[in-house]
Amino acid sequence: MKQLLQVDKGKLVRPYVALMMDVIGRALEASSQVDEVIQKEVRRLPPDCRFEMTVVPNGPSFAVQKQGETRLKYLGGKASGPFHVSLKFKHLTHAFLVLSFQEGTAQSFANDRVLLDGEISDAMKIVRCLNRMESLILPKVIAEKALKRYPQLQFKEKVAEGSRIYKQVVSNLIRG
Amino acid sequence: MSKPYYEFFCPVKVVAGNAALEHIPHELRTLSAQRPMIITDKGVHGAGLIDHVLAAFEDSGMEIVEIYDDVPPDSSTTVVKNIADIYRQKNCDSIIAVGGGSVIDTSKGVNILVSEEGNDLSEFSGVGVIKKPLKPFFVVPTTAGTGSEVTLVAVIADLEKGVKLPFTSYFLLPNAAILDPRMTLTLPAHITAMTAMDAMTHAIEAFTSLAKNPISDAYATGAIKKISENLIPVLNTPDDAEARLELAQASTMAGIAFSNSMVGFVHSLGHSLGALCHLPHGLCMNLFLPYVLEYNLQTRADAIGELLLPLAGADVYARTPQADRARQAINTIREMRDELYRRCKLPRTLSETGKVSKDQLPKLAEMALDDGSIIMNPVEVDMDDALAVLEKAW
Repeated sequence: MKQLLQVDKGKLVRPYVALMMDVIGRALEASSQVDEVIQKEVRRLPPDCRFEMTVVPNGPSFAVQKQGETRLKYLGGKASGPFHVSLKFKHLTHAFLVLSFQEGTAQSFANDRVLLDGEISDAMKIVRCLNRMESLILPKVIAEKALKRYPQLQFKEKVAEGSRIYKQVVSNLIRG
Repeated sequence: MSKPYYEFFCPVKVVAGNAALEHIPHELRTLSAQRPMIITDKGVHGAGLIDHVLAAFEDSGMEIVEIYDDVPPDSSTTVVKNIADIYRQKNCDSIIAVGGGSVIDTSKGVNILVSEEGNDLSEFSGVGVIKKPLKPFFVVPTTAGTGSEVTLVAVIADLEKGVKLPFTSYFLLPNAAILDPRMTLTLPAHITAMTAMDAMTHAIEAFTSLAKNPISDAYATGAIKKISENLIPVLNTPDDAEARLELAQASTMAGIAFSNSMVGFVHSLGHSLGALCHLPHGLCMNLFLPYVLEYNLQTRADAIGELLLPLAGADVYARTPQADRARQAINTIREMRDELYRRCKLPRTLSETGKVSKDQLPKLAEMALDDGSIIMNPVEVDMDDALAVLEKAW
């Protein structure tokens, strides 16, 4: 019988979730610098609006803050509150399900895996920003699992916008 | 559709039927309460409905300590604070809310302040801020629609700050909901129709939402069947106590369903229309329901098709081919709305309300997209989709 490589999934979940939260936070920042649809949503957020995604009680997290009219600034994984909107996964496993694209964000809400604290109308704008960003940077086959409906995006548009976001992430990293 | 995970919770005792009000003293005693305060509004008091509650306390060895009957249609933190002060002055130990949505939400707010010994309601706003059981709290609904007697939320306006404060906690759930047919017997036809369609929408959106689950489905279909079978008979014979009780039960069942499965795009649009054009919630629900169901057909045709059975009965369901059931279910709702329009002038379109202008549609769409209920709609909605549905509803 073939010996399978033994991997302790439990030990990998936390670093994976932490890594994905870092990626999403940075991608959200970059998307707000290049994508007009996301900029339109950010414009309607209140000044200095702060958003946090975290896992209770002390799991990985990331936060972003509105900067200027249309941009989001990544605050890293250790920003302290208060936050206008806080999206809290009840357990690390629940965050893993969403961040490994096995369960969409909306379905995670529907499955009572997420607590939403703060101004609901702002939360809806931020969820749309997350959805838009995911549709641009993820391969279609994965984005379709994460979203209720994959938007009508031309392949060229998706590649061009996605590339710009990735470039912007790198540029932001270099600039610190 | 199978569902990998769900939660369901409803600890509210339902006390329903003939002479249900007379059970309140006993129910209070089981919770060691004996000095209840009634919270209601002028309309309910003026209609003589409080007399039924007072009569239920005769020879019970217990008295109503205070009746506060000045809850406005749009309550506020100031009203809540005033009532809490009276509760404390009179040394009350429990609350009986008698009324509709505003009275029930106000009473939930009062219960927070008197139980937490607070004075600033805003300190308790948010999800899960309240951490301990509150004072004994009973609800006697006087409309059959909101379902607030079985929900864990309350929304109360802070007029000074110009915001609506949401409160969500399991501890906001009443200890008991008292459904007595006497309390809805005198409800006027147009309010009966609006509130019934509110309950109908709760049930249908719960059954079609992203969070639908087998237990809330059972409550939802039960509620739809009761409304379909009893709304028109009640309009024909308003003092039909049995049919009135059926509607009251349907409202509570729909409340249990949607408080577990949530609502969707009908509510997103309805909340926006209600806020922008000051139209009653039930009217907005009745107005948007078929248009949103048509929009949701793209992913929920099977679920909508299943609704034909509770909506139209076994005969219609059996003779309608499976592929046509969803359309037929929507047609049945349209026919019901036509009948309500004929009898009560309940508007079916935005233009029929006479209170909406077409240039308000973009604002309505924008507000609907920002409404929290939209996340549970089974189909994603963007600005173009929302506008298209509003155009159809025009």
